[in-house]
Amino acid sequence: MITVEGLTKTYGNRTALDHVSFEVPKGEIFGFVGPNGAGKTTTLRILAALLEPTSGRALVDGADVIEHPDRVHERLGYMPDFFGVYDQLTASEYLDFYASCYRQPKARRKKVADDLLELVGLTDRRDQAVDTLSRGLKQRLCLARALVHDPAVLLLDEPASGLDPRARVEMREILKELQTMGKTIVISSHILPELTELCTMIGIIDQGRMRATGPVQDVIRQLTSGRRLRISVLGQKEEAAAVLKALPTIQEVALVNGAIEAQYDGDDAAAAGILQALTAAGIKVSAFSQLEGGLEDAFMKATSEDV
Amino acid sequence: MNRIAVALWNPIVAKEYRSRMRTWRSPLAMTIYILLLGGLGWAIFSSTASAARNSFNGGQAANYGQALFLWLVLFQMVLLAFITPALTAGAVSSERERQTIDLLFVTKLPAFSILWGKLLASMSFVMLLLLLSVPIFSLVFLFGGIELDQVLNAFFVTAVTALTLGIIGIACSTAFKRTLPATVAAYGAAFILLAGSLLFGLLFPTDINPNATKAPAPPAITYLSPILPLIVIGTNGPINGYGIRNGGIYPMAQGGGMVCSAGPNGSGSCYSNAVPIGKGSIGPYNPAQASGTTIPSGLFSGWQYWQATVTMQLVISLIALVLSAILLPPIRHLPWRRRARVAA
Repeated sequence: MITVEGLTKTYGNRTALDHVSFEVPKGEIFGFVGPNGAGKTTTLRILAALLEPTSGRALVDGADVIEHPDRVHERLGYMPDFFGVYDQLTASEYLDFYASCYRQPKARRKKVADDLLELVGLTDRRDQAVDTLSRGLKQRLCLARALVHDPAVLLLDEPASGLDPRARVEMREILKELQTMGKTIVISSHILPELTELCTMIGIIDQGRMRATGPVQDVIRQLTSGRRLRISVLGQKEEAAAVLKALPTIQEVALVNGAIEAQYDGDDAAAAGILQALTAAGIKVSAFSQLEGGLEDAFMKATSEDV
Repeated sequence: MNRIAVALWNPIVAKEYRSRMRTWRSPLAMTIYILLLGGLGWAIFSSTASAARNSFNGGQAANYGQALFLWLVLFQMVLLAFITPALTAGAVSSERERQTIDLLFVTKLPAFSILWGKLLASMSFVMLLLLLSVPIFSLVFLFGGIELDQVLNAFFVTAVTALTLGIIGIACSTAFKRTLPATVAAYGAAFILLAGSLLFGLLFPTDINPNATKAPAPPAITYLSPILPLIVIGTNGPINGYGIRNGGIYPMAQGGGMVCSAGPNGSGSCYSNAVPIGKGSIGPYNPAQASGTTIPSGLFSGWQYWQATVTMQLVISLIALVLSAILLPPIRHLPWRRRARVAA
C-alpha cells in the first residue's frame, strides 16, 4: 500500500532524510519511531505530497506523490502533529467543510459528519465551536476530519502527543477500530509501549536514516541480541541463577524486583528447554513468562549506535 | 453543478462567509464605512444645499452635484484602498500561521481554488460595501450635473481597483509567510498604485513637443492610479496641468482648459475655456493642451482614461494571480523542474 524507495531530503547542507526505504502492506499499522528531528515528520509530509523529496520516490496505493498528488490525496487522510482549527465553526460544520473540500455530495455530508463524530465520540459536541474544544477533543476531531473521504491510508503524525492517559487510551481504541475497518495506518509516536501494543509493523529512524523496519517482533529480535524471560521461584534464587548460567542458551541473568530476568538466544523451544532444566534441577518455578516490550531496548539500541 | 460553477463557488467561499458574518467585526466595518461616507456626503450636501438655495440656478446646482460626486468617489476609493489590503493580505498567511493550510492542501481542492475562494470571499465583502454606498451616491442626482453613466463608470473603476488591490493583497499573502510583512507589502503596493503612480507624473512629466499635432498626455504609468480617471469622470472634463512639463501653462480649474481642434494639415487651433487656479493667469498660447475625456496621445491615445486604468490594472491583477497560483502549492509542477526530475 505504501512504498518508499531511497527517499532523501536535504535542506542546504543538512540532510533530513538519507535514502530511507520501507514498505507498508495493506491493512497494517506501521509505527514510525525516532527521536525528535529524526525525520519522521519530513517522511510523513513527503508521503502526504506536502513536501518534495530531493531524490527517491514514494508511492501511496500505487500513486507517485510527486507525479500524482491529487490521486494521493484521494487515497490518504493526513493528521499533522500541529494543526489549527477555524474560529466560528461548530464541530459538525468543520467536518462538513472538509467533506465539501473532498467533493463529497451535499446529501451525503451530514451523514458522514454524524458517523465520524460518533466514531470519535464527539456526537454530544457536534454544535460546539471547534476553537473551544480541549486539545484531546481537537485531536479526535482532526482524526475524524482525516476520514471524511473514507481514505484507505491514514498518516498520523504524533496523534497522541499532548493527550492525557485517558485520551490516549481512547485514541488507541479508535485506531484499533480503524484497523478492523481495513485501513492502512502509519503512525509516528514517542510512546513506545503503545506502539508495541498497537502496531503490527515498525520502522525506527534516526538522524534521517532508517535503522530497522519490519514486523514488530522481528525488529526487536533483530536489534536485541536475545529474548528475555521473567522467572519467579519459591526461594532458591541463587540455585536457580546458577542453573540458568550453566545453560548454553542463556546470555545474561539478573535479579530484578525479586524475580529473575534471563536473556537467552533462541526460540520458544529454547524457552521450554530452560524451564525443563530448572524443574529437573528441583527448582520450584511459580511463574515463567516471556518479557514483552523489548521495543524500548530495540529503540535505544538502534538510536544509540551507528548501525 | 458544472465545473465552472464548482470552480467559482467552492467550499472556501461558503466557509469564509460563514466565519466572517458571525463576528461583530463585519457589521462594525460596514457601519463605520457607511458613517464615514455618509458623513462626508452629508457635510458637503448641507454646505452646498444652503448655497444652492441662496443663489439657485441650474448651472450652479450642477457644479454642486459634480463636486459632491467627485468628493464621494475619491473618498470611497481611499476608504477601499485601506480596507481591501486588510481583507486579503492575511488570507493565505493566516492559514499558515494557524497551521490549517496543510489540511487544505491535502484535500481535493486545487491551489487555484483556494486562492479564488479567498479572493471571492474578500471581494464580495468589498462589493457589499460598494452596494451599501449606492443610496449615498443617489444624493448627487438631487443636484443634477451627473449622468448615470458617470456613476456607473466611477463604480466600475473603483470596483476594478479594489479587485486589483485584493489580488495584490492575496499575492503578498502567498509570497510572505507571515501576515504582518504581507500586510505591509500590500499597503505599500496600494500606495504605489494610488499615489505613487501619480507622484511619478509630477516628478517625471511628459515633455511638450512643440511640433506635435496632438496634445501631450501624462506618462502612461500614471494611468495605473484610479484617481485620474475618477477625476475625469467626476468633472467630465480633461486633465490639464498634470503630468506635462508646464511650459508656462498654469493648472486650470476643473472643466476648463484649452479646447483644441486639429486641422486637416496637422495644425491646431485652440482657445481657452478655463478659469485659472490661484494666482497667475493663463499662459501663452500652447497648442499642446488636452480637451475632452480621452487620452490625447501616447500609448493609450484615443482611449478613455478609465479604460486605460482598468486595462492596466487587469493586466497587473492577472500577473499577480498567476504568480500566486505558482507560489502557493507545496509542490510546484513547473515544466523545467519536471524535466530536471526526470533527468535525475
